[in-house]
Amino acid sequence: MNAMNMPLGGQETTTGPLVKMKGITKEYHGVPAVKNVDFTLERGEVHALLGENGAGKSTLTKMLSGVTNPTHGVIEVDGKEVRIGSPSDARDLGIVMVYQETSLVSSMSVGQNLFLGDEARFNKLRDLYIQAQVILHSLNFDVNPWDQVDTLGAAQKQMVEIARAVRQNARVIIFDEPTATLTPEERAHFFSLIGRLRNQGVTIVFITHALEEALNVSDRITILRDGEIVTSDVTSNFTQDSIVRDMVGRDLTEELYGHVEKREARQAKGEVLSVENLSLGSIVRNNSFTIYGGQITGFFGLVGSGRTEAAKIVSGVLKRNFFHGGTVRLGGKPVRYRVPLQAMRDGIVYVTEDRKIEGFFETMSIGENLHIADLAASPEKGSVIRMSEAKELFKVWKEKLSIRAMSAEAKVLELSGGNQQKVVIAKSLLQKPKLIIFDEPTRGVDVGAIAEIHKIINELADSGMAVVVISSYLPEIQHLSDRILVNRGGRVVAEFPRGATDDEIMFASVH
Amino acid sequence: MSVKSSIGRLDQEKVVLVISAAMFLIFAMTLNGFATIPNILSLFQSVSIIGALGLGMAIVIIGRGIDLSMIAVMVMPVAWSFMQIADGMPVSMAFGFAILIAVGLGLLNGWLVAFVEVPSIFATLATGMILFGGMQYIKVQSDIIQLPPVLEWFNTVMTRTTLGVPNSMVFLLVLSAIVWLFLRFTRQGRFIYAIGDNPMAARTTGLPVRQIVVLQYVLAAVLALFVGNVLAAMVDSANTRLFYSNMMYDVILVVVLGGVGLGGGKGRISNVLAGTALIGILVNGMTILDVSYMVQNLVKASVLLLALVVDSLINPRDEQTSQQGDI
Repeated sequence: MNAMNMPLGGQETTTGPLVKMKGITKEYHGVPAVKNVDFTLERGEVHALLGENGAGKSTLTKMLSGVTNPTHGVIEVDGKEVRIGSPSDARDLGIVMVYQETSLVSSMSVGQNLFLGDEARFNKLRDLYIQAQVILHSLNFDVNPWDQVDTLGAAQKQMVEIARAVRQNARVIIFDEPTATLTPEERAHFFSLIGRLRNQGVTIVFITHALEEALNVSDRITILRDGEIVTSDVTSNFTQDSIVRDMVGRDLTEELYGHVEKREARQAKGEVLSVENLSLGSIVRNNSFTIYGGQITGFFGLVGSGRTEAAKIVSGVLKRNFFHGGTVRLGGKPVRYRVPLQAMRDGIVYVTEDRKIEGFFETMSIGENLHIADLAASPEKGSVIRMSEAKELFKVWKEKLSIRAMSAEAKVLELSGGNQQKVVIAKSLLQKPKLIIFDEPTRGVDVGAIAEIHKIINELADSGMAVVVISSYLPEIQHLSDRILVNRGGRVVAEFPRGATDDEIMFASVH
Repeated sequence: MSVKSSIGRLDQEKVVLVISAAMFLIFAMTLNGFATIPNILSLFQSVSIIGALGLGMAIVIIGRGIDLSMIAVMVMPVAWSFMQIADGMPVSMAFGFAILIAVGLGLLNGWLVAFVEVPSIFATLATGMILFGGMQYIKVQSDIIQLPPVLEWFNTVMTRTTLGVPNSMVFLLVLSAIVWLFLRFTRQGRFIYAIGDNPMAARTTGLPVRQIVVLQYVLAAVLALFVGNVLAAMVDSANTRLFYSNMMYDVILVVVLGGVGLGGGKGRISNVLAGTALIGILVNGMTILDVSYMVQNLVKASVLLLALVVDSLINPRDEQTSQQGDI
């Protein structure tokens, strides 16, 4: 197998930086996503890339890994100018990117995935599995090479991707938000692995939103803002405050990453929703909880703990088990919805965690998106519509939620993550909810907009609405919630009042 | 950003219009008898039926489906009603039954696609064959069914002109205007776009997704029935052999050629008309040149491929443009 007799990347003796990107610019339809950037990667370093959404992190790494090509500028590897036209060019240079959504073939075994595209002419499976086992062992990965990929968890899939990069003798491995879907234990394991790869001379680049990770793990940090590099320096010269300042260009630290706001919990204003023994397959199991009006109920739990599914059942997006599915009572009256439309008519609205997949219509403008939601919520308006309403709606909601967009005609897709989220929230509020469920309301949202979205959520609760916030980010739950419900294994396992400590909540969610 | 990109960007519709205009000029300068008024009128007349069917197809394709049963609906209920009228059934009753059959087939298509969740391409392929075969079994055994004498006035109307424009052309334009008004200014029309754009988002936004999908197929079927009557009036008879022709592909051709995206949510009525114009000019020019039917098909197919390739070159759909949110 050719993988075995190629020289290991880290052993090359050339000095100077491994990768140098000089004067790189990338434009989309004449709009620069990255402007005249100089970016350097040293041999065997861990390099964190930070920046708000839309700052250009992904674009920069995509140019390095050959997914897109720069409009202007030069890339040098080992001091020689190279052209990285495609991901396979990048791989030949030893640059591999590991994506958030894994790029493994789920119907194949781990071993077959490791050698995908590099199989021997006579592909003897036994040899392949032995070699795969050798690689996995050398990395101390607890994965069977003959397991099928779709039976693996998120962390194990990532291990396979890393093993594949190592097998391809990667000199640079780029990770896009590697820890977003991992549990704390898996995160620790991931970072120890990164340390080992660095000791073997591999350069690691990782994009992250978690500032603590960048500070604890990396050797150098580069911060991007609006397509330009604000600063690039050794990690010891940064603090959390200075990073946030560099990312947003202003001081938001206290407001966001400071201590949980000192305020009393809001008083509950009557029971709105009660759920008993809710069940859906093996994801939601005998889940029972109650939601009250005029306050924020936070659902905390690790990914896969069944929070999203429970919320989707309540709001009609998913259907619970037909037999022994449990009961959902809205204001004391049992309800069972087949489609979200019915839940919406009863005042239950779910704000999705994945706005690109089920949040908005990407070929439509902001105004049209709002208009569609308004039409859905107001059947009394009849069949013939007025297109000018789209503009009026945009004016109203732009004001209310301070959506930053040029005009009602701008496409939602062209907005930043935070403004997209505001459009999705506006769409949901148009449906006049009594109970609104926010699922990961600030995922993929830039730091500046997080505070604004938190403010919107707080105001809704103040106005008497029953608000549910689902989040995997504990500080967000502690900051927003008046009471905290912890999910584990498909059900609510503990309830805490506002002000509960990290340790209490984490303990309940893991053990 | 949005303003700049939407004005500056060429799209498939404009490319097709430019190609059409170029073709028109080339034919007009090189072909004797092309740029004459009778020829131009017959040119539009020949594609008006394809274009009208394309309107119904566009509704379904914008809503992320496809309806392959349209030709069966176009020929069979019409042929059946003509035979019934010839056998003595009152005209209104025969037409009433034909409408019931078309609506019924639309409901069946919609139910299969929206509720049973059969892929639309298979569901409508099957229902079209069932309708054709079923009606052939019951009654319609001959290929050509003459327009009944009571309906001769219809033939007279369709072969006349209004202000110099053939009525078949007027028919296409009026129908286009109606479908345009429907798609743009009614709640249901907007919902079809939303569902075609993103069915999951449409569902969570609280749109009646399944009902709207059913409506799409019913509209397409009713429109096909209407077009079937017009076609029969134009040529003085209903021809059931059209079911075996490649007319269905011509319909899909003009819709997709004009720039209605097969992925759903994308496209306007002007796209269908642009595609229709191009195909009309091409076919007419080639007919004058005495190009064989086989070669005409080859040219049509090449033009479709060309339009798709040019579109994907000027509007690249790489990972970045499809996810502009996370640059």
